[in-house]
Amino acid sequence: MSERMAHQFAIEVKDVSRVYPGPVPALAAFDLSVEYGEMVAITGPSGCGKSTLLHLLAAIDTPTSGSVIVGGRDLASIRDLSAYRRHDVGLVFQFHNLLPQLPALSNVALPMFGTHRSARQRKARARELLAEVNLGDCEDRLPTELSGGERQRVAIARSLANEPKILLADEPTGSLDSASSTRLLELFERLTNGGTTIVMVTHDSDVAAHAHRVIEMRDGRVIVGASTRL
Amino acid sequence: MTFFDLVLRNLWSKKARSIGLAFAVAIAVMAVVTLEVTSSSLEQSAAAIISVGKADFTVAQKGAADTLASTIDVDELARLRHTPGVASAVGVLVETQRINAENPVFIEIGINPSDLRAFGVKIVAGHHYSATAEHEVMLGWTAAANLGLHVGDRFNANGTWNTVTGIYSTGNAFGDAGAMFPLPAIQGYNRVPGIVTLAFVKVTKAASITAVAARVDYDQPELTTIRTAAQFGRADQDLVYLQAAVNGSTVLAILIGAVIIGNTMLLSLFERTREFGLLRAVGWTRRRTLGLLLGESLLLALVGATLGVALSFAIAVVLENLPALKGILHPNFTEGAFWRALFTALVMTLIGSLYPTIRAALLSPLRALSYE
Repeated sequence: MSERMAHQFAIEVKDVSRVYPGPVPALAAFDLSVEYGEMVAITGPSGCGKSTLLHLLAAIDTPTSGSVIVGGRDLASIRDLSAYRRHDVGLVFQFHNLLPQLPALSNVALPMFGTHRSARQRKARARELLAEVNLGDCEDRLPTELSGGERQRVAIARSLANEPKILLADEPTGSLDSASSTRLLELFERLTNGGTTIVMVTHDSDVAAHAHRVIEMRDGRVIVGASTRL
Repeated sequence: MTFFDLVLRNLWSKKARSIGLAFAVAIAVMAVVTLEVTSSSLEQSAAAIISVGKADFTVAQKGAADTLASTIDVDELARLRHTPGVASAVGVLVETQRINAENPVFIEIGINPSDLRAFGVKIVAGHHYSATAEHEVMLGWTAAANLGLHVGDRFNANGTWNTVTGIYSTGNAFGDAGAMFPLPAIQGYNRVPGIVTLAFVKVTKAASITAVAARVDYDQPELTTIRTAAQFGRADQDLVYLQAAVNGSTVLAILIGAVIIGNTMLLSLFERTREFGLLRAVGWTRRRTLGLLLGESLLLALVGATLGVALSFAIAVVLENLPALKGILHPNFTEGAFWRALFTALVMTLIGSLYPTIRAALLSPLRALSYE
């Protein structure tokens, strides 16, 4: 039985709270289900918990209560979260987070260390991804030699390095011009058609309009769009 | 890109820090290796004395501050000669004297002419001195060549002129670079009548060297037998102290170096916190992150060790040519010195980088990424 058949949802967030010191919880009794191959846009004002949700899904943060289930596996039960981060999810940060000492090609190759790929295969894959985001001629350039949009595209290429089943993107078009945004959304569409599930945080309603579903958040809760597209 | 490329790039991107760290390692390694080489050279110079006589073993006063301070009196030498299994025991008085700036530590050996053959001396020109002569000398062939003297020439030593009666060879560089005098004459010059510094013992064919040496150690506890350079500390306390000082300095250099490295690595950890967070967030394991940092540290240690050895070569050349050490110090870069360099660099770097490295590996990805 395939994974998809065994579990209806790629992502299930059940009654999750994430409390940091402060008056308002980042997430409060949060529920969300995302289908395989679905592209979900999360919108809402700053501080409403959008990034926290992505961090929980990427397993770089843990919920205070509730459970996050990805591909049928509760993240709390996974012993090797590094492997989960490496193989199952790709994460695009709002501020790129590229290593300044490494050229674009090496930044893209970083997640592939610790996989079955040889150095030559890592290089070939990183080249392929840079070409995919239209940066084939920038592989030797350091992040300081790239524009904000180019850095963002390198970060997107890096997130796709290990062909993740889930792509988590925090403001992926934030630094991109409209042409690059369009190309990125076309890439996202191709990915979802191939079965990749995408959860992106965006403030841009035009970008959100490309998603299968838009979820609006406020004060750590879903205001609109919690139900699935089914 | 290989993991090693990543290590190299990380070090290269912070050139000033990397060079500073490698230099800190190099300075410590240089200090340790130079001390080791100096100590080893002095030990070899001193230990060379025991191999002049081609004996089965050498006997010296136990616990003497240094080899040349050893004293064996006539009675002790006589008892030694009567020890079962001893074929011959040649008593020699060894002293040093400044001849000129080129020969600040010139070796003088007092020995009876009747003992020359047993001592392994071969006369290559002229003849030996007479047993009771007061102003006769034989020169080792190296010394004669260095001083430009021949048989019949006069040689000023011990405040008096001596006639060179012969040139000898012992087959030992240390012995051939000195001079031999009649034993009573040199005892007189140094006001130690009846005293010799060392006794060179040969055992009978039927006897076991080990057994005879053990017997001497047992019968004459005030004396000690030496068969190898490693046993030299029994007679030469200075060398023991010197070796202890070298070991102590190594530990001190490691600790000081480790503190410098630890401090720099800790600052680097704060600087690179977001980087470690990113690596963990894209799926790097703690072990791989640890490996990256250890790889950087080990590479710095290797570079530092190489640089340190090169610097110690330069320092050794300078020391060798210092007037006060000329003729005494012959820097000898043994395999042990290179191992000590590597050991010092690796231990220092590992100790220094241990805490920052572990701390970096244990960082929570989110906290590290949020670090300002």
